[in-house]
This record gives sequence, structure tokens and C-alpha cells, in this order.
Amino acid sequence: MIIGQQKPLDEIKQIIADYQKVLILGCGTCVTVCFAGGEKEVGILASALRMATGLEGQPREFVEATVQRQCEYEYNEEVADLVREADAVLSLACGIGVQTMNERFPEKITLPGLNTSFLGQPAEQGIWAERCQACGNCVLALTGGICPIARCSKSLLNGPCGGSKNGKCEIAPDVDCAWQLVYDRLKALGKLELMTEIQPAKDWSTSRDGGPRKIVREDLRL
Amino acid sequence: MNYVKGLLDQIGLGSQRLEMYFLSSAEGARFAEIATEMTERVRQLGPNPIKKLEIGD
Repeated sequence: MIIGQQKPLDEIKQIIADYQKVLILGCGTCVTVCFAGGEKEVGILASALRMATGLEGQPREFVEATVQRQCEYEYNEEVADLVREADAVLSLACGIGVQTMNERFPEKITLPGLNTSFLGQPAEQGIWAERCQACGNCVLALTGGICPIARCSKSLLNGPCGGSKNGKCEIAPDVDCAWQLVYDRLKALGKLELMTEIQPAKDWSTSRDGGPRKIVREDLRL
Repeated sequence: MNYVKGLLDQIGLGSQRLEMYFLSSAEGARFAEIATEMTERVRQLGPNPIKKLEIGD
């Protein structure tokens, strides 16, 4: 899922400073699950902003709403009236949701209340960890299901490097060496021979290096 | 607790208004001590400034 983190209240106050009536719009998918921008967080942020702006002598009006998935026009349609009545929208969705709102409602600005952090998973209660960089050319079949692009600090394809020590990465003692994980996993699977295959330099054109990406499925187009 | 205290500071209400204590139901004397301590602290901080705003939240 997409993992996000709410911006500090002071930054949010600056972002909405020019607007009197603000619709705080949550998203019911990824950012709800990572406790950053769901219905509950919308409620907490709206209350905090009402109090904070009130205490500063510049009270503003905050309207609360949450849609199922802010990255699709169809779901955002449900809040069209609320958007029309507001001076601006403060989105608690990821950057995709913010942009979808701006594209769907170009006459009204939608501002970001979250920092979109990464693609990851809930590793433990209260801990989220990156698992994918959407590089566009998945290598998990070669690495025992552990992504060296997202999880190796150097994104090495032929690891480990000399910075691997006791299973940890040299950048920090609490960061696992992805290639140690790959080795352990391949060993357990009886596929260690995959470690000896030298991978050529990765073609990054399927990643961000190729510019903004788009998938066109002619079979699905209308 | 840390999260809510941080939020109260950011809002401008002040984190000193909130505290959590661990004690058992058998510690009546300690409960009274804590209640007195918090009452004194809140008295020094003054009334909740939100109450003056009539924002109904």
C-alpha cells in the first residue's frame, strides 16, 4: 500500500492560510490503513485546526468528509457539492489523490495535508517499512521474494557489498542487509545457485529514469 | 500520550494539561496526591482558553 504521514500542524496552517472555509478530505484506502488520512484522522485534524486557528484569533471553518478512494474520479464525485461550497480542499490522501482532485475540480485548489512516504507494508503494530520502488521491472523471482531495489541501500543487483556486517547494513544498525535476507531465503528454498548468476546493469528506463510512466491497455479502452 | 501531548502543544493548548499515571485501586492516598498535584497545575495554567471561543467542538 501507499504509506503516508501527516504534515506538521504548523505547516498545514501555512498551507491553508489564504482560505476561510476548508474541506478536509480523507481517503478510505491506503492512508486509512496506515492511520494517516482516514475518517478518524480527518476528525482529529479538523478539531485541532478549529482550536488552533481559534486560539490565534483567526477562526476558520472546517468541513469534514472522506471518500473511499481519492485517486479515482468516480469516488470524488460524491463530494462535488462540498468542494463547490469550500474555498479550498485540504486532502489527506496521497499525492495521487491530491492530483486527482485537482484534475477533477480544476476550479478549486486541493492542497496536500500528507507527505506521501513510500510503498510498503505494516511490518509491526505502528511500524511501516518500504517494500517496493515501482521500478517497473520486477526481480523478485531472482531474489527469493526480497526486493534488493527497495531494501538494499544501494539497490545492488549483485550483492551484498562490503558494508554488510552480521546481517545488517552499514548505514544503520537497525537496517537489515537486503542481500543477507536474499541469501538466507534462497538457502532455505534450496535455490542458492541463483546467487551466482551475475545480473547485468539494470535498465532503469522502466523506472523514473524513463520519465513519467503510463500504461495503455487497448483491450480495456472504450 | 506523547502523540496527544505533541498535538496539544501544536494546537497551542499546552501539553502540561494532560498527564497519565499508573496506579492500582488500592493506592487511594497516591490518587489523592496526584489529583491535588494536577489541580494545582491546572490552576496555575488558568482556564481552558478554548472555552472562550465558542467554537462548539
